Amino acid sequence: MRFDANRRQLLVGGAAMLGAGALMGRPAFADETALRLIFWGGQARADRTYGVADLYKAAHPDVTVTGEFLNWPDYWPKVATQTAGGNMPDIVQMDYRYIGEYARRGVLAPLDAYAGNGLDTAAIDKDQVANGTIDGKLYGISLGVATGAMITNAAAIEKAGIDFNPMGVTYDDLKAMAPDFAKANPGMVLTADGSGVELLFENWLRQRGKALYTPEGQVAFDAADVTEWFQIWNGLREAGACLSADEQALETGPQETTGLVRHKAATTFATSNQLVAFQALMPDTLGIAIYPMIAPNTAGGHYRNSSQFFSIANSSAAKDAAVAFVNFFATDPGAGKVLGVERGVPVSAKVRDAIAPDLDEPSRLAVKYVADLGAIAGDVPPAPPAAAGEVEVALKTKSQEVAFGQQSPEDAGPAFLDAVKDILNRAA
Amino acid sequence: MAVDNTLPASGATSRPAAAPASWWSRFWAQNGSGYLFLLPWLIGFFCLTIGPALISLYLSFTDFDLLTQPDWVGAANYERIFTSDPKFVQSMKVTLFFVLFSVPLKLVFALAVAMLLNKGMKGLPIYRAVFYLPSLLGASVAIAVLWRKLFAGDGLVNHLLAYIGITGPSWISNPRYSLWTLIILAIWQFGSPMIIFLAGLRQIPNDMYEAASLDGASRWRQFVKITVPLLTPVIFFNAVIQTIDAFKSFTPAFIISSGTGNPINSTLFYTLYLYQEAFGFFRMGYASALAWVLLAIIAIFTAFSFLTSRYWVHYDD
Repeated sequence: MRFDANRRQLLVGGAAMLGAGALMGRPAFADETALRLIFWGGQARADRTYGVADLYKAAHPDVTVTGEFLNWPDYWPKVATQTAGGNMPDIVQMDYRYIGEYARRGVLAPLDAYAGNGLDTAAIDKDQVANGTIDGKLYGISLGVATGAMITNAAAIEKAGIDFNPMGVTYDDLKAMAPDFAKANPGMVLTADGSGVELLFENWLRQRGKALYTPEGQVAFDAADVTEWFQIWNGLREAGACLSADEQALETGPQETTGLVRHKAATTFATSNQLVAFQALMPDTLGIAIYPMIAPNTAGGHYRNSSQFFSIANSSAAKDAAVAFVNFFATDPGAGKVLGVERGVPVSAKVRDAIAPDLDEPSRLAVKYVADLGAIAGDVPPAPPAAAGEVEVALKTKSQEVAFGQQSPEDAGPAFLDAVKDILNRAA
Repeated sequence: MAVDNTLPASGATSRPAAAPASWWSRFWAQNGSGYLFLLPWLIGFFCLTIGPALISLYLSFTDFDLLTQPDWVGAANYERIFTSDPKFVQSMKVTLFFVLFSVPLKLVFALAVAMLLNKGMKGLPIYRAVFYLPSLLGASVAIAVLWRKLFAGDGLVNHLLAYIGITGPSWISNPRYSLWTLIILAIWQFGSPMIIFLAGLRQIPNDMYEAASLDGASRWRQFVKITVPLLTPVIFFNAVIQTIDAFKSFTPAFIISSGTGNPINSTLFYTLYLYQEAFGFFRMGYASALAWVLLAIIAIFTAFSFLTSRYWVHYDD
């Protein structure tokens, strides 16, 4: 093969190659750092997160943070795949169910060395630092205090004229109020079916003085508990107080699929920080209420959880820069103003004070809710075992079996307990 | 490179070796440029297909959590699959049910549409393109989302049923019907077998039909005695391809159930279960074993099709 080129073509080609070279090899400034960030959530969270990245860029022009966000169910496979491929983003949003799993496998960087040295842990609430500590080492910076909460369609509840006490509602109340509610709101029921919500089940167990897991990571409830739990929900379903099985099954994870947003139920079982995101999806005025009590004035079910953490990849080439960004994210009042309380109540007192005057109504409600919990809240449970994420999925599936009538609560109790034990044994 | 002149390679017989040339230089002279052109594909095949497949075979004998080094566990993964894994049984049931119903129904539908289009109507290319469209869109996220809307409790399907006095359930979230919504979605994507059927129908000589109608054969009799027998090679091809595709079906179930396979694992396709184990629950070793079991099952089905084909597929040209 011959390659003919006259002088002009060579010149043009050479110029093009020079140009391409200039484009590809961006002039490397001495300290230019690119940080990758991954988190789960919806558009509301993404807007706020990228807002902080822009703010940080303005103060630190040499650091660029690029982000990626996914829905909860898609998030974990993505993080696992990237991690396995040696391509974990520098900053990873973590959940309390998964942080132990990742930390114990050595893929997260311990942050103790940065405490007071780039990471202002003294400014962060003590219980929130404790939540991010696994086996005595700090692996995650809490991004917000949150606790279990029912997000309610306050407008629909008010229309029904029922006596719904947001800070003291019981399971019996839900049943008793259902007929009046349904009369005033045709096509809608009072509450979502919470039988498959792990956090709600845990809350109910804690009110009975039990727990999901022992500190050693074993099952801390028995088959009779599970049976009774499903019986309560079968009762609510038969009374028309909660969503039918097939309506509930349409809920697959994203907030848009919940009965609350689809105008089929007046509540959904979530966490307090999610009020802000839910309100962004709906025109109706929303409210917030505790998870139902098993009897009036039963305390101890709720606890001050961390809605999520930022952890730093052990493989990150820019750990110092990543820590600095996370520190800014969690403790800077300016960042706090952009973030609001969408990820929960800020973990730093100075951020809380800074944002308090400017909060909009749903944010104010969410903050007040966490503050008002007071004696209703109990101690934070020990970190869950490695397979906690799989148990959460198993409860959802089992709850559907019962709701669709394929298994009685009496059979579902022992069956679920066996399934959980099998999951925990395999992970051990 | 070993030099071996004694082997009478088939390529060598066609060109009597006048001068004693090495096996390699003869091979190179005859096929070299061909392989050179194939090189991009060969690199992809060995690096991206065979390599990962062999690694997954190794991983299937290990306990591998993606984040730490794999541990050799022998046949423990396979043992669990075949003795004590209820989700394997469930996902196999779901997948077999799906294959058993979606493949024949899709083929019947594709053949019916192909025969309609084969009547030599005006604007055939347009119709052909329009009917093929769902096949291009079928595995997309948008269609899966649309399906959720169509078959939800207050979806379009139930609105239509309401006109004839039927109050339908939420098809897509009811474990009794959810798999059927996915089967309907699969049938709707009849485009590619239809195109192949259409090509097959064009191959059947018209004079056969003319002769048959002169002899007074009815349309149905012509279909059974001429069309179907002459089309059997195409039917066979479509059946094999569609069966393999159906076994591997993943995206619609993944998106419609947000990756859960719910309600009650009624749409837990085998591939979805495999994906959950691998990326949801960090059991890559176990998932690799599941993948090899699936390969074996598809191989058995395909072998069975080929073995039985001699009794019903007619190659008579």
